[in-house]
Amino acid sequence: METEELLINMGPVHPSTHGVLRFKLRMDGEIIKECTVVMGYLHRGTEKLAEMKTYLQFIPYTDRLDYISAMPNNYAYVKAVEELAGIEVPLRAEYIRVLTVELNRIVNHLVFMGSLLLDLGASTAIMYGFREREKALQLYEMLCGARMTFSYFRIGGVRDDLPDDFMSKLNEFIKDMEKRIEDYKGLINGNEIFMMRMKGIGVISAEEAINYGMTGPSLRGSGVNYDIRKIEPYSIYPDLDFKACVRPECDSYARYMVRIDEMEESLHILRQIADTIPKSEVVATQKYGIAPLTGMPYTAQTYFPRIFIPPAGEAYSRIEAPKGELGFYVVSDGTTKPYRVKIRSPSFCNLTAIPKMVVGLKIPDLIAAFGTIDVVLGDVDR
Amino acid sequence: MMIANAYELIVYILTTIGVYEPINNIFMSFGLDDILKIIIMLVEIAILFAFVLVTIMFLTWMERKVVAMVQSRYGPMVTGPRGLLQPVMDGVKLIGKEDIIPEKADRWIFTLAPFIVFVPALLVFIPLPFGESLIISDLRVGLLYIIAISAISPVAILLAGWASNNKYSLLGAMRAVAQDISYTIPLALAAIAVVLFTSSLSTVDIVNAQAGTWFGIIPKWFIFIQPLGFILFLIASIAEMGRIPFDFQESEQELVAGFFTEYSGMKFAMFFLAEYAHLFAVSGIIVTLFLGGWNGPVIPFIPVQITSLVYFLIKTYAVIFFAMWLRDTVPRVRIDQLLNLGWKIMIPLALLNLLITGFVVTAGVIQ
Amino acid sequence: MTWISKNWTMTGIITGLMVTLKHVLHIGNRPTVTVQYPYERMKLAPRFRGRHAVDEDACIGCGICEVSCPNSTIRIVKYKGRWFPEFNLGMCLFCGLCLDACPMNAIKMDRGYELADYTRESLIYGPDRLLFKKEVNK
Repeated sequence: METEELLINMGPVHPSTHGVLRFKLRMDGEIIKECTVVMGYLHRGTEKLAEMKTYLQFIPYTDRLDYISAMPNNYAYVKAVEELAGIEVPLRAEYIRVLTVELNRIVNHLVFMGSLLLDLGASTAIMYGFREREKALQLYEMLCGARMTFSYFRIGGVRDDLPDDFMSKLNEFIKDMEKRIEDYKGLINGNEIFMMRMKGIGVISAEEAINYGMTGPSLRGSGVNYDIRKIEPYSIYPDLDFKACVRPECDSYARYMVRIDEMEESLHILRQIADTIPKSEVVATQKYGIAPLTGMPYTAQTYFPRIFIPPAGEAYSRIEAPKGELGFYVVSDGTTKPYRVKIRSPSFCNLTAIPKMVVGLKIPDLIAAFGTIDVVLGDVDR
Repeated sequence: MMIANAYELIVYILTTIGVYEPINNIFMSFGLDDILKIIIMLVEIAILFAFVLVTIMFLTWMERKVVAMVQSRYGPMVTGPRGLLQPVMDGVKLIGKEDIIPEKADRWIFTLAPFIVFVPALLVFIPLPFGESLIISDLRVGLLYIIAISAISPVAILLAGWASNNKYSLLGAMRAVAQDISYTIPLALAAIAVVLFTSSLSTVDIVNAQAGTWFGIIPKWFIFIQPLGFILFLIASIAEMGRIPFDFQESEQELVAGFFTEYSGMKFAMFFLAEYAHLFAVSGIIVTLFLGGWNGPVIPFIPVQITSLVYFLIKTYAVIFFAMWLRDTVPRVRIDQLLNLGWKIMIPLALLNLLITGFVVTAGVIQ
Repeated sequence: MTWISKNWTMTGIITGLMVTLKHVLHIGNRPTVTVQYPYERMKLAPRFRGRHAVDEDACIGCGICEVSCPNSTIRIVKYKGRWFPEFNLGMCLFCGLCLDACPMNAIKMDRGYELADYTRESLIYGPDRLLFKKEVNK
């Protein structure tokens, strides 16, 4: 019998590619023979834009990389600039930063869970996920006035201190969330159809995952205990009690479970921060760069110099973003604008492992495996 | 006096009011008494049609409301009380849409397919007993008729998918057909196990066989004698209806909208309506076969036709609610897993069920 | 498939069905959370960053906001004989840097979020639509 290979284009406009991504699939019937990922449909030249903006002005642009979880992007960038300029950040600001980042990890994993289940055809999980996300977003709105594009972090601190009733609302959220996670577990984790779709699908061994540069929960689902918060502790993470969630199964189900576990760990971290957050300034008070033009004292409105010139040099800083290792490489030539900013985004590196995962599977499996990698196209294409 | 079907019921009502005799005499005087029969039949069919259309509209509303309730939302609230008129507005919107026929499509078949889908969905209602004597026609092969008529819809789906001249449509149609074929078999086998007890394919006989109770408490429904058969029938009919977790014909994450990708306007609405008509019909069949049909406690002073209709509707809506509830809870299985489930598990289990039932009936354990 | 034959009791699905049923019946603090948007709105936080407004008395037209804007949203224009900023909201990131940069605290971003419009031109908010006067307590 004569057979023919079929070339299928999945995307760039397709409901389950989470944006504009194109898979070129060489199919043998229903089986994927070869998968090529075509990226770049959402390329906005963020790295080049950074060279035209001052250090402060670039912060809003980092929001738009991984728009599901913008706080870690903010954090990674300001951390790199702080390392470059050697700025000490007050302790309370660090606490607030970790708080927002961990809250954002929960938000990200909620969206991940919802969109994964939506890809599999179950519409309820995303509604539950978004219900809790809404509460977290309201916390963010209280904190920084925006719900997704925060631009909350400032070099040397954060924009504003916590509002008065923030902590009580946060505790409410934590309490609520504990119950909701039980709901998710009941709804999804044990579901036989879900397990049929996830177990043994999209397998990538630990060695291959490392070779492809995968990081974050996707790598930990392959049994590699690699969490930057643990292996290269930064900020206040050494003081916090949490564990890196690792699963050895290497398949889609493991990657999903890692994220559910991480949500609980993040809740645990939030609880600790809510108990131990110290009172202090939220922005660095030391004088650096050129003083403010007005010469006014550092208040909430005018803490940061309008013209900030770090010394010439370079810095690479990485954090554990919800999707993996997020790194910013900033080169300064001693002017007001960075000479070069390179972004090492987790989504991009994780996505490159997809072709390896899906060979020999079917298109629905590709969608399931792709869902568990958890990419945001704004982060992939930058 | 025994009233067998809706025709006789109408005649009986007219007779009791006292208008049947004069009308009949008028027609008789012209030698047109057959015309009167046809008129009465048309009236009952019109009533059924109106009932089905209203039910479909209600079901679309109910589907949205159930999804909303499951997902902590309100659902449609604006049009009418609690959004009850939303289906009307949807209909108005769909009629107002441009009716697009793709240039490369096969115009005739493309136009015909929605009707071929819709008509069998209505035909299924003919031997469906809505209540005591509320049945259009008590066919002696009613069950066979239902299964046979349901088997027409894959043909129409394939026609729709083929005529659209779209890869996604064709793939969706192929999947739908494969799924329908592999699930009609366990469906029929599970139904046959029930027939072994009643030794009749007539739906009325099946319902009557479930009248009464054991020990005065447990109703004599076939679900209690045939639990495995019920589960198989339920799963197979959900697959037949093409709902999550088995909605391959329109799995939007893989095939944009399945076989009706290219359809718009009223033609799309026909598919949509047929889907809900099918949902109601299949739920009615489940009730008829396994949940005792119209049977229920007799309430004095109310005609049995009304109480039985109410019992039937309550049970049917319970089954429909379960289907919607399940849809909102579980993800979709994969197409090969679905076919595996159908051929490797459902059919052997259905055969086993049939075998055991055969032994039980032959041994005369349950009369 | 071998796997499903082991777990044919489907306890996981039944647990899931129970979770959704609890939501249907609102058992245990699972209320309806959405709002009927055009008829009722969520309460905004005090810090919410929406459309800009400029304090007519405080603004000195210095142009620091123009410089601080990452996206060149702001232009300083002449209005009633004085200099005021003009915001092109079609380009605005709503980052709040202008708010932080203003030496007179003249800019506010508290004018709501329903900013959709039919033309790009109508998204350019000139001083005529931006200015407000702070109520002076006597």
